[in-house]
Amino acid sequence: MGKPKAKVDGEKCLACSGCISVCPQDAISMCGGRAFVMVDKCISCAICIQTCPVGAISGEVY
Amino acid sequence: MKYDVVVVGSGPAGSVTARFAAETGAKVLILERRVEVGVPVLCGEGISQKIDNWGMLEGKRWIASKMDGAKIYAPDGTMVTLSKEMAGNETGYVVYRDIFDQELARQAAKAGAKLMMKTEATELLVDNEQIKGVKVKQFDEEFEIEADIVVGADGVESKVGQWAGINTVLKPNDLETCAQYTLTNVDYKSDYCEFYIGKKIAPGGYVWIFPKGKGIFNVGIGILASLSESGMALKLLDNFIAGHSELKKGEPIRLLAGAAPVAKPVETVKDNLILVGDAARHVDPITGGGLTTALEGGKIAGETIGRAIEQQMFDEETLSAYETGWKEAFGRKLRRDYLVKEILLDFDDKTLNMLADSLKDYKFKEFSTLSLVKALVLKHPTLLMKLKPLLKVSKESKED
Ligand SMILES: Cc1cc2nc3c(=O)[nH]c(=O)nc-3n(C[C@H](O)[C@H](O)[C@H](O)COP(=O)(O)OP(=O)(O)OC[C@H]3O[C@@H](n4cnc5c(N)ncnc54)[C@H](O)[C@@H]3O)c2cc1C
Ligand code: SF4
Ligand code: SF4
Repeated sequence: MGKPKAKVDGEKCLACSGCISVCPQDAISMCGGRAFVMVDKCISCAICIQTCPVGAISGEVY
Repeated sequence: MKYDVVVVGSGPAGSVTARFAAETGAKVLILERRVEVGVPVLCGEGISQKIDNWGMLEGKRWIASKMDGAKIYAPDGTMVTLSKEMAGNETGYVVYRDIFDQELARQAAKAGAKLMMKTEATELLVDNEQIKGVKVKQFDEEFEIEADIVVGADGVESKVGQWAGINTVLKPNDLETCAQYTLTNVDYKSDYCEFYIGKKIAPGGYVWIFPKGKGIFNVGIGILASLSESGMALKLLDNFIAGHSELKKGEPIRLLAGAAPVAKPVETVKDNLILVGDAARHVDPITGGGLTTALEGGKIAGETIGRAIEQQMFDEETLSAYETGWKEAFGRKLRRDYLVKEILLDFDDKTLNMLADSLKDYKFKEFSTLSLVKALVLKHPTLLMKLKPLLKVSKESKED
């Protein structure tokens, strides 16, 4: 089992771009007004999870 | 489709850059992935009245209210007032950011710039290692837009910069993660902007209350991402409002999340490329405010681009007049405030309380570093040690 990767809850995301600006892997993009994680690029550092002001990102094991 | 300049982002930095480039006769296109310029608003909407002297915005529709000064509350509630007389022309407006951004876009359009909505830049167009424009997605259509100069005005994300090989990734201790309510029907009279500091209130940041008039207030929080946990900013803001006797009776008409870079500026120029505004990290690291620098920097960028187009020279050296220009205009202030930010982060609540206690009766009009330090240290001698690094920064920034 791999480490948990970041996953954005589209219902909670308020599109502030904070997670995108801190992701060291450029793994997050705005997609239709919501942040979206490209799982292949994510290295499970959890920086985005800690950054999200509304708690829209969590770790998910794939 | 070929333009002289393609500007990615229709925020203040993008529109002002586009306007001043277009005024020189350049063919300018602004791309915006949103469906309305300035919407949704992601901002506290406070700005210094010094913009009056710049003549970039016409009319008054973008002004919600005028502020008479600032009140800063220490963790124990001690208040320090910076009144209009003391703060000079640094008092502020609270603006309607949507109307504000749309007025700047109108000025760009009036100068001849074109705008495309719902059009997102997805990567740079590169040929033989040279930047030739951008690839875009408009609704479900993908196409290319050629331009001699690409301007990254894409805000805190700053992806255009990353595509060009500039490291714009923010470290968590260089980002304020934010949330804000606009509350209405608040029975509270205040013509001051208010700031609340303290580790429990807003670790590494502050809570702000900006009066918009008619009982409407922007109440927001920014905390340092490195001190944040998932969802913490909004939780702390809810706590703050719940503990405030008047605000808690107001009703929210808007909720927003936001991200403000509080970093050192990055490299802003490459061959055929310029970064402006938040994308260039042109934000005051102490306050997180970036509107005035977006306008100032945008003007310098637009004028530089105008000259480059006239000469048909788009290399880094030609465009570096922009970098020299913004460094002269506000580069030193940004660098100094970054150092001050780092020092302030080390202050515990007790130190902040002592500082406020020393300053609460200080007459800011006789402002000089020496008299300020005297006032501080007379009351709380132990502050001297804490303030040493600040004095060093103030001395160095005077020397260079
Ligand atoms: C919560 C909060 C409160 C703030 N309060 C204040 C304040 O009170 N006073 C102050 O001075 N500053 C404040 N700031 C900072 C201020 O909002 C910014 O400095 C300012 O918006 C920067 O302007 P900009 O034009 O650089 O970027 P933005 O205003 O962010 O504009 C960037 C634009 O680019 C678009 N875009 C992004 N990527 C693409 C793409 N790939 N393709 C097409 N379009 C794209 C976006 O949709 C957006 O419209 C605050 C920031 C936050 C987060
Ligand atoms: S966990 Fe780290 S690498 Fe993965 S998306 Fe978040 S910030 Fe990027
Ligand atoms: S930090 Fe949270 S709210 Fe902001 S864009 Fe990312 S997921 Fe959305």
